[in-house]
Amino acid sequence: MSAADTPTNKSTSPTLTNQDLVRVEHALEDIQIQPDGDRLHPPAVFGAGGPMLKQFDQSTAMSRIPSQAATPRSVVGIGNKVAKPDYSEAKIVLAMVGLPARGKSYLSNKLQRYLKWLEYSVKVFNVGQLRRSRARQKALQSGKREDHTAQYFSHNNPEATRSRDQLAEDSLEMLIQWLKEGGNVGIHDATNSTRSRRAKIEQRVAKEKGIVVIFLESVCDDPAVIAANVALKVSSGDPDYKDMSPEDARRDFLRRIKEYESVYETITEPHLSYLRIRNVGDQVTLCHIHGYLQSRIAFYLMNLHLKPRSIFFSRHGESQFNVEGKIGGDSPLSERGMKYARALPALITDNIGDAPLTVWTSTLQRTIQTAQYLPYNKLTWKSLDELDAGVCDGMTYEEIEQAYPEDFANRDEDKFNYRYRGGESYRDVVVRLEPVIMELERQENILIIGHQAILRCLYAYFHNLPHADLPYIKIPLHTVIKLTPKAYGCDEERYTLPIGAVDTHRPKPGTQTSLPPVETGSKREYYGER
Amino acid sequence: MVAPLYTTASGLLFHAGKILVCTVGLPARGKTHISRALERYLRWTGVKTQVISLGDYRRKVLGSAQKLPPDYFTLGEKSPETIALRAKIAGGCEQLIWDFFDGGGQVVIYDANNGTTSKRQELAERAEARGIHIIFLESMCDNEEIILSNIRGVKISSPDYRGWDPEKAISDYLQRIRDHEKHYESVEELSVPSIRILNVGEKIMVNDIRGYLQSRIVFFLMNIHNRFRTIYFARSGQSLIEHSYKADSDLSPAGWEYAERLKEFVLERRAKSLEQRGLDASERRLVIWTSARRRSHHTAWPFLQHSAGDGTPAPRVKVIEKPQMAEINPGVWDGLTPEQVVKYFPDEWERFVKDPYAYRAPRAESYHDLCVRLEPTLIELEREKEDLLIVGHASVIRCILAYLIGLPASEIPAIEVARGDLLEVVPTSYGVHSQAFHFWDGPGRSDGAGGGKDAANFYENYAEDTKGKRRPEAPAADAADVAAAA
Repeated sequence: MSAADTPTNKSTSPTLTNQDLVRVEHALEDIQIQPDGDRLHPPAVFGAGGPMLKQFDQSTAMSRIPSQAATPRSVVGIGNKVAKPDYSEAKIVLAMVGLPARGKSYLSNKLQRYLKWLEYSVKVFNVGQLRRSRARQKALQSGKREDHTAQYFSHNNPEATRSRDQLAEDSLEMLIQWLKEGGNVGIHDATNSTRSRRAKIEQRVAKEKGIVVIFLESVCDDPAVIAANVALKVSSGDPDYKDMSPEDARRDFLRRIKEYESVYETITEPHLSYLRIRNVGDQVTLCHIHGYLQSRIAFYLMNLHLKPRSIFFSRHGESQFNVEGKIGGDSPLSERGMKYARALPALITDNIGDAPLTVWTSTLQRTIQTAQYLPYNKLTWKSLDELDAGVCDGMTYEEIEQAYPEDFANRDEDKFNYRYRGGESYRDVVVRLEPVIMELERQENILIIGHQAILRCLYAYFHNLPHADLPYIKIPLHTVIKLTPKAYGCDEERYTLPIGAVDTHRPKPGTQTSLPPVETGSKREYYGER
Repeated sequence: MVAPLYTTASGLLFHAGKILVCTVGLPARGKTHISRALERYLRWTGVKTQVISLGDYRRKVLGSAQKLPPDYFTLGEKSPETIALRAKIAGGCEQLIWDFFDGGGQVVIYDANNGTTSKRQELAERAEARGIHIIFLESMCDNEEIILSNIRGVKISSPDYRGWDPEKAISDYLQRIRDHEKHYESVEELSVPSIRILNVGEKIMVNDIRGYLQSRIVFFLMNIHNRFRTIYFARSGQSLIEHSYKADSDLSPAGWEYAERLKEFVLERRAKSLEQRGLDASERRLVIWTSARRRSHHTAWPFLQHSAGDGTPAPRVKVIEKPQMAEINPGVWDGLTPEQVVKYFPDEWERFVKDPYAYRAPRAESYHDLCVRLEPTLIELEREKEDLLIVGHASVIRCILAYLIGLPASEIPAIEVARGDLLEVVPTSYGVHSQAFHFWDGPGRSDGAGGGKDAANFYENYAEDTKGKRRPEAPAADAADVAAAA
């Protein structure tokens, strides 16, 4: 309930005159059920295509006139925009703890993606990045480059230690400032490897009312994982090592780790609120973790794994409704759609060989038909059903535009927030898909035969795309999208089968192209350095 | 996603195999509370789960504590008879565990002290030999107050202390704890999977927990608490078009009246119940959840209005709209009467009537789908510490009530939720206490007495329309009484 809706004075109930009620009643009695083809199908009584909905809205609107001030908003037409839920009470500093190359940035990245997808405002404050940008500025001013090799990270280097402390503190200040301006979760991505450093963070955050701090320690004693992380750091274009040979970079980075190891103290402070993760998911310790968001974060982190795998997305084959330009419904595949269903198994099998794979479909027949020839284990999810268009289900966009021109324009203006009457908004779909994401994180190779809106939401999660753009992501028919999660994002490949299909994509009106091509990929993004 | 999407031939879910959850802890550490809560949750998700309590078994076989040999709980040398007796009880109880697994059960929660490393080691070996995963669930407490309140609230009303003077019972129980303490060894070994909880969730340590079902258990345990609170349920008021899901119509004039009456009644009832427990209403907030459907959201509207006229302070109320709590979607049956459905969908109707829990009408949701959808809300319900009022739809209230009371899934579609009743549910250590209060007789009242055409949304109101019968020909099971008595 938004503030604007909150009434300030006592209301009287709206009154309906008897006449209005009689009108509604008559309208109800007038329902005629028409036979439809060889099977009897009753019409959708309150669909936006018929006259009933309008009649009903008119009769209730009139009855509301005398009492308008005191009653809450009511929906008319085919839907309305729904405000984002209020997350303003959630204010968390999430401070990372761990040696270099223990996957801190990996975890903070993943968490950021997950929480952003759930519409929390999340920002990573990376101390290394701040250090580099400051050094760059200094270099510009003085023409002298600061030395940021391992020596800088030695705790026997008092000047550098002071400078690093200052950086960590500045970065925390920036984070707190950002939280105060409306952020929800600020991730302090630094090593925070000593008790005294953590105590400083704790003391600083304690001064702020309504902000809590939790520490997330990433411990890793699997040499293979550490080696892979080191290799990634050296080869991922880390600005610290851009002028070094990979061999030198590796040596320097290992020395840097040594410097940290010499003073590292794992979290043992009994009063701290913390999560400790060993080898991504092996062992988890939770201490003083209170609050809903915190427990969600913990559960998410418990479900992550690092095994290599791929996730395939495909829409169902072209359906009868696609051909007719209708939305929603539960229609069977078209001739061309069936052709796609028959061609799909070869494409998938060529791609993954005999690796195990599980296929997920929705409960609607067009996805089940599309999956029917796939020689894999199949599961049906209700949560993967297409966005429910409520009263508009089964209509074409042209019909909706004709019947409700204003509402139609309204939806185009803010598609993510628009909830169809008796149906869903994209946000509702994101909420319903959250358990699916959790399950996807846990699984290995998965092929989802889904729907346009559903795959848009899932795709946005894997590529960290903003919600405003989400309803316009292109997911064409008869195309398989393969995502391979990597340390800092997903690699993507697309395979389009040469089977024609209608284009169901509607670009945002007024824009020529729908979206600039998404810059996707698994390269590490050095925050703000692009 | 916790509720299963499919069943397997073995009856085991989530590829998790069989799991023995063994509680560890001194007496009065809330082991039973945790065991029962976990059992309820896992059962609701479809996992065949059973709590097997050593204490209950001992009482069943040997009777209450007075009939035991005097050295049964005490420390040190025990007579050979007592040792044999204890071994017999432990062995008999353990047999119950293996029997449950052999009979197709998936999870057993063994509610006992299991206080020594050697005992745990032996048990782990026996479980392993049977191919059963074992997890130790230790409940620790270093806060005297929690322990004392647990003894006062639960232990001295146990059959062991029937007829005792309360103070004497408490000191006897404290002595029993002290005896145990001398032998007690905390779960320090890292060789076994464990979940250790300090002071009801203040700290949770998890070791070597693998797989979905196990991490789900941890997530659940992170969210439960034992603060006293009350959960109220009421249906939304009458709407203009009762029988259409899609129209999402607003409240009727009677519905608005209902909403006002509901507010008065809830505040009155809540004040009374808080007063009985000596709690101050002004210190506690009432949280109200509604769905995003207009009839539900607007039924909570009066709570946000405060007439400052009479000088009473505004109640501390927070209204939260939850889109996951919409009523069951009737799919293509939206707006139809049962007669129309029988006419146009005869086969589907047959199947629906046969299994109203699992059957999904075309484009509709089954009750199972609804339970899956509501699952995240249940976790939020567990963690909510304030009093909660759920202004919901009959189908949603049914699923949540079934969870709280512990009814089997097949019973869910038959639970009657009368519009015009306020259901009050108080979670306690061993389950819930629930009561129904009647507050509304105006239009839209539905109690199975045949609400006329107002109650035409038969998919939603099937339980009321058929007076709680799962099948028209089945004998009446009065589910409303079940809800009220449980």
